[in-house]
Amino acid sequence: MKRLPVMVRNGLALIGLLMSLGAGAQAKDVVAVVSIESPVTTLSRNQTVDIFLGRSKRFPDGSQAVPIDQAEGSVARDVFYANFAGMTAAQVKTHWSKIIFTGRGLPPRALPSGKEVIRLVADNPNAIGYVEPDVVDDTVRVLVVR
Amino acid sequence: MTVMRALSVSEITLNAGAHVSRIRRWIALLALALLAAGARADAPVTPGLTFNGFGTLGLVHSSEDQADFVASTLKPSGAGHTRSWSGHVDSVIGAQLTATLTPRLSAVVQVVAEQNYDNSYRPLVEWANVRYQVTPGFDVRIGRIVLPAFMVSDYRKVGYINPWVRPPLELYSLIPVESSDGVDARYRVTVGEITHTFLGIYGRTETRIPGDSKVQAKGAGMITYTAELGATTLRAAYSRADLTVEAFNPLFDAFRQFGPEGIAIADRYDLDDKRITFIALGGMYDPGKWFVRGEWGQSDTNSVLGKATAWYVSGGYRLGDFTPYVTYARRKVASNTADPGLTVAALPPFLAGPAAGLNAALNATLGSAPAQQTLSLGGRWDFASNAALKLQFDHTRHDAGSAGLLSNQQPGFRTGGKVNVFSATIDFVF
Repeated sequence: MKRLPVMVRNGLALIGLLMSLGAGAQAKDVVAVVSIESPVTTLSRNQTVDIFLGRSKRFPDGSQAVPIDQAEGSVARDVFYANFAGMTAAQVKTHWSKIIFTGRGLPPRALPSGKEVIRLVADNPNAIGYVEPDVVDDTVRVLVVR
Repeated sequence: MTVMRALSVSEITLNAGAHVSRIRRWIALLALALLAAGARADAPVTPGLTFNGFGTLGLVHSSEDQADFVASTLKPSGAGHTRSWSGHVDSVIGAQLTATLTPRLSAVVQVVAEQNYDNSYRPLVEWANVRYQVTPGFDVRIGRIVLPAFMVSDYRKVGYINPWVRPPLELYSLIPVESSDGVDARYRVTVGEITHTFLGIYGRTETRIPGDSKVQAKGAGMITYTAELGATTLRAAYSRADLTVEAFNPLFDAFRQFGPEGIAIADRYDLDDKRITFIALGGMYDPGKWFVRGEWGQSDTNSVLGKATAWYVSGGYRLGDFTPYVTYARRKVASNTADPGLTVAALPPFLAGPAAGLNAALNATLGSAPAQQTLSLGGRWDFASNAALKLQFDHTRHDAGSAGLLSNQQPGFRTGGKVNVFSATIDFVF
């Protein structure tokens, strides 16, 4: 009885995957952003990735870092992890499953769009997000990633 | 006798067989922790409950119909003899609730349902602990914790995480299921480019095994060290425990009736509060496009279950969503597989018969120590962002005189043979 819903769901997931492959064909870029009030101006690629993968909870200056993801399956998210970490969506999922199911933490909060990431990051000096360059406004600062 | 034959080193299990009363106690403890934390909610993060789950639907076929292929000797039946195709070998479902109370305090409860020692699928509590983050690099946990004996031990039931259908049995059966009720502490520090992780665990556990028996481990301690540098991970673990396997007590109590010689044999081989030790070394290189990993382990039970060493090497290459892999694994016996036992000739005739029987029982257990090697070929297809399909073919050769890791051997079973196993699984997380 358990089997059918799982197969149906996996079937739907497969269709979703094929659709996202189509969407991902138009290779985009994303930029890392912090609040305009944050003192952070630059991060290395590894420092950025470590914050998003839960390996580091702080910015290099010692202040708390709160990463904000975009929704699973979104182009921005897939582009971010591919460009910054060289990881596929499945590898990111595996990474977090290891941490979740050994009781060592939870993944960052994920928001459904770049605009919502901007809104949350703008109001929180500890937050860090990534967005498509075309949604950046003057409430956030684009980090120089070395 | 069947109980004793069925036992092997692989049953040195440090898992908790979760008695209902104990589960209740943990739940009560967690509830208290939740209340205590709620009372002093200084959290800038939103406290909350998060639900996660995982599962595997698996089907396994074994070419050997005179014994069962099992993924753990805690399982009462498997593929081959009991069923030609078995869905019980790898199938599992797990659900987890994580309570984030403050940025420093959290609690987790994970319940897992899979084939139990008694063939039921009654869910057991796999994890149940409260975690306090003392500093960003240092945390402590109290409660039920799965022992990270090997590199993937603490998430071995989450098939989605692992490249294979199941971790190589040769090594992972040395200590197959491992959770402990106690405390652990972990310290992580990055010096230069290298992240060092030190972990210490102390606790106790009790596990039910097929044949309505129990395995108890007291004073179970483990220390592990992990070094990570980029794509490279190196790891070492040492553990010890005082192990009691009740099923052996009648045999050695009988030996003790035979004077100094019998007592000496019993002291050497019994499993009543016996100190066991365990060492593991592992390494992994995973730059993303491909991976190679290997582990070596040795368990020494100072008892009738002997000393065993095992290792494996495995590699895979990621072609988009498809990852073919190959694994070679070996398990050897590193202690004697026979013992002269009591000197029957020196005994009066009415004792010679029972003494010969005891010698035979002792040698049957010593001789059944698993020794085998397996070559595995498989592939993983990540067909969705949260699910993977895996197919795996294992070719196993048992050492002369050994039944390897097969269980439920039938009268027609021949030791020292070969067996082919085919497995298909769908692993998912949600």
